[in-house]
Amino acid sequence: MTLVDVSSLTVRYSGATALDGVSLSLDKSEMVALIGANGAGKSTLVKALSGLVKADAGRVTVDGRLAQVPEGREVFADLSVDDNLRLGGWRNGRRGRDTSAIYDLLPALGPLRRRDAGTLSGGQQQMVAIGRALMARPDVLVIDELSLGLAPLVVQSLVDHLRTLHRERGLALLLIEQNARLALSLCSRAYVMEAGRIVLVGDAAVLASDERVTAAYLGGHYE
Amino acid sequence: MSDFLGYVLTGLGIGAGFALVGSGLVAIYRVTGVVNFAQGAFAVIAAMLTSSLLTAGLPHVLSESLAVVVAAVVGVLVGVVAIGKPGTDPGTSLIVTLGLGVFAYAVEIVLWGDQPRSFPGLSGVATIGGARIQAHYLLIIAVTVPVFAALALFFTRTDLGKALSACASNKYAARVVGIDVRRMGLLAFALGGALGGLAGVLTTPVQQVTFDSDVTLIVNGFAAAVLGGLTRPAVALAGGLLLGVTQTLIAGYGGGAYQLEVALLLMLTVMIVQAARTGPVREAAR
Amino acid sequence: MKYLLLAVVVVTLALPPLLPEKQLAVYILLGLAATVTAGVSLLMGYAGQVSLGQAAFYAIGAYAAGLLSVHGVPSLIGLLLAPVIAAVAAVLLGAPLLRLRGHHLAFATLAVQLILLSLLGQGTWAGGAIGLQGIPRLSGLKDDIGYAYVVWAVLAIVLLISRNVVASRAGRALRAAATSETAAAASGVPVGGYRLAVFALSAAFAGLAGGVYAFYLGYLAPGSFPVLLSIEFVVMAVVGGLGTIAGPVVGAAVIVLLVQFLNELGTQPGMPSYAPSVLSYAVYALLLIVAVRYMPKGIVPTARRLASRSSRAAASPSAELLEERA
Ligand SMILES: Nc1ncnc2c1ncn2[C@@H]1O[C@H](COP(=O)(O)OP(=O)(O)OP(=O)(O)O)[C@@H](O)[C@H]1O
Ligand SMILES: [Mg+2]
Repeated sequence: MTLVDVSSLTVRYSGATALDGVSLSLDKSEMVALIGANGAGKSTLVKALSGLVKADAGRVTVDGRLAQVPEGREVFADLSVDDNLRLGGWRNGRRGRDTSAIYDLLPALGPLRRRDAGTLSGGQQQMVAIGRALMARPDVLVIDELSLGLAPLVVQSLVDHLRTLHRERGLALLLIEQNARLALSLCSRAYVMEAGRIVLVGDAAVLASDERVTAAYLGGHYE
Repeated sequence: MSDFLGYVLTGLGIGAGFALVGSGLVAIYRVTGVVNFAQGAFAVIAAMLTSSLLTAGLPHVLSESLAVVVAAVVGVLVGVVAIGKPGTDPGTSLIVTLGLGVFAYAVEIVLWGDQPRSFPGLSGVATIGGARIQAHYLLIIAVTVPVFAALALFFTRTDLGKALSACASNKYAARVVGIDVRRMGLLAFALGGALGGLAGVLTTPVQQVTFDSDVTLIVNGFAAAVLGGLTRPAVALAGGLLLGVTQTLIAGYGGGAYQLEVALLLMLTVMIVQAARTGPVREAAR
Repeated sequence: MKYLLLAVVVVTLALPPLLPEKQLAVYILLGLAATVTAGVSLLMGYAGQVSLGQAAFYAIGAYAAGLLSVHGVPSLIGLLLAPVIAAVAAVLLGAPLLRLRGHHLAFATLAVQLILLSLLGQGTWAGGAIGLQGIPRLSGLKDDIGYAYVVWAVLAIVLLISRNVVASRAGRALRAAATSETAAAASGVPVGGYRLAVFALSAAFAGLAGGVYAFYLGYLAPGSFPVLLSIEFVVMAVVGGLGTIAGPVVGAAVIVLLVQFLNELGTQPGMPSYAPSVLSYAVYALLLIVAVRYMPKGIVPTARRLASRSSRAAASPSAELLEERA
């Protein structure tokens, strides 16, 4: 069953084409990686998925609830951590705004709950952004740069949590990640983007050993 | 001494009116980035409407409440014109609200004429600590203080209030979590309309209104709010009260003719000092 | 373009003797409004700032000229000093105020005007609320036709100065600063100084117009310079097109004539007594809103764009240059 279906999507920013006929799909409970160089158009695709940019051509359909961890965290700086999390559940109505499960998932946030999110470290803010997205109880979670600013141990525990959510709740994941090795090891399928187009798509394990991918994104020369 | 107390209490009453206008400005500015020039018009419309409703035989409280509700609706209408079109920048919206403020003149004159209006408020004189002041000033204070408390609770304790604060804090993130930023903007305009309207209905019994009273109201309201950078309602309250007390003290001790000048100079000084401290004051974030 | 300009010059010069007295007054007031608006347009278009207090400088010029001549200074000298005094006032006020931007500056200029009005209303030296009376006419000018030509000349001078400012290094620098102040400042452009200069120049325009106004009417009162007047200048500037040379004239003409027409309409028998003011408020408001909403560049640039679209030939080098300046 397809949860997210993007077909021939084109997005332009005042003239410059950021996405040029991109097609991508995500099945229920599927974990998919999206990798590509800086400026390839990954974040633009994420914005298009949540309707934050308009499609100039093509179509985006999302069947189910989609939440995203936006690029650059984008926390509510002068609201408390707890309020940030609560607002993540904005679409779910009153009862959907209980934040306690998030503190179980991200215990590091517990002691910080009363602090203004803007006063947290970069990695702590990233946790807030992830927790906020999870508050939406999404069917699909889109993460634009998971490991940004996070210590390896924190990344590892988040990856474990994502796996758990995937296993136990059937969470689908679209993961954008500069650490392609991490993305390809977590996900089952992957897309590779270049200059606004999808240039490769396939099984993550296969792509991980694909020459073009290793050369461009896995630092293949040094292996 | 009792003179002094009397002036202070009267000043607090007048200042509460400024604070209400100012906090209406703040409510709108925080969420939308728009300095609403039509803010004074909300007060004028509500005041004029109250006088009509009272004349038509409606009782007090009901008349005032209806007028405040109408002011909130007018607020939404102003909001629709000012921010309704997506992508309008705050500078453009300021000019639009300026136009709406002038448009309100036309409407007000057609409906209520161009003569000053007033209506009786709480009658009688109260004696506090030897100071005799018009009881209505105490009523203004007695209404304003709980309104501000409720406002604070609304912004910090309710999800709707938090969503409004979220729009003020990070519009993009607000959209990311699914908050309808435009709708919140209109809600802020409704709130601003209600606060402006409340200022109008509360102060008119002690200070009659004309269709163009809005200029004085908005300038004083802005002066009250600018102290807190137009974003902090609590500071707008403090600023308004300070402004009111300063003005009555000046008037009371003989400088009556110069009270507006002092208020305006105070506002200019605050803005210039702020600008000197933070560098050129930057335009509101989009 | 050249022919249009020539036609406008010929027609406006030929007009005054042909106009009945009442229309002549409209001609004069229109010219004065256009003169002030030229300054507002420069300020908003080039320094990127909204002034809601331009009528203050109009008043300063008027009162300066009026007071000087009432105290026996020859009227011509009074007229020449009016813009100077307004500009000096602008420099003194602008030095602190121009640190402010956007709505802060808008409110600051509004505050300045309110303070000035209140001071004028209380100052017995200025005639107080009753006003300053008995201002002599400009020496040698007996009838209104003469004033019409004075206004014409004043407006022409102001427009020529505007044109030169716009084309100057300072003009280009200011336009750059309007887009990115930090970048302009970083590349060594003295943005602050230029901004103050434009502020002073726009005040001088207003002061000069005010001087003419004082001699033309022979009587001044604070009530002649309400806050609404400042807003009217902004409306004229926005409607005509900010930062263009022709914009202020077109904006002032459109609005003054429209308001004049509505005034006629409003004073028809059977109309309520408040009709003229209601109609003019409504027109100012709607024009302003419609202009910023649907024609954010104003009439002149929009018309020019439409014209060059309908006839490719209009994209001659000179038209292009003007377009760019706009
Ligand atoms: N708001 C914008 N206005 C104009 N161009 C933009 C805007 N946002 C992105 N772009 C351009 O669109 C292209 C794609 O940008 P996008 O942010 O989607 O890339 P990305 O793949 O997420 O890059 P990165 O890995 O650096 O985050 C880039 O060329 C960028 O310059
Ligand atoms: Mg990106």
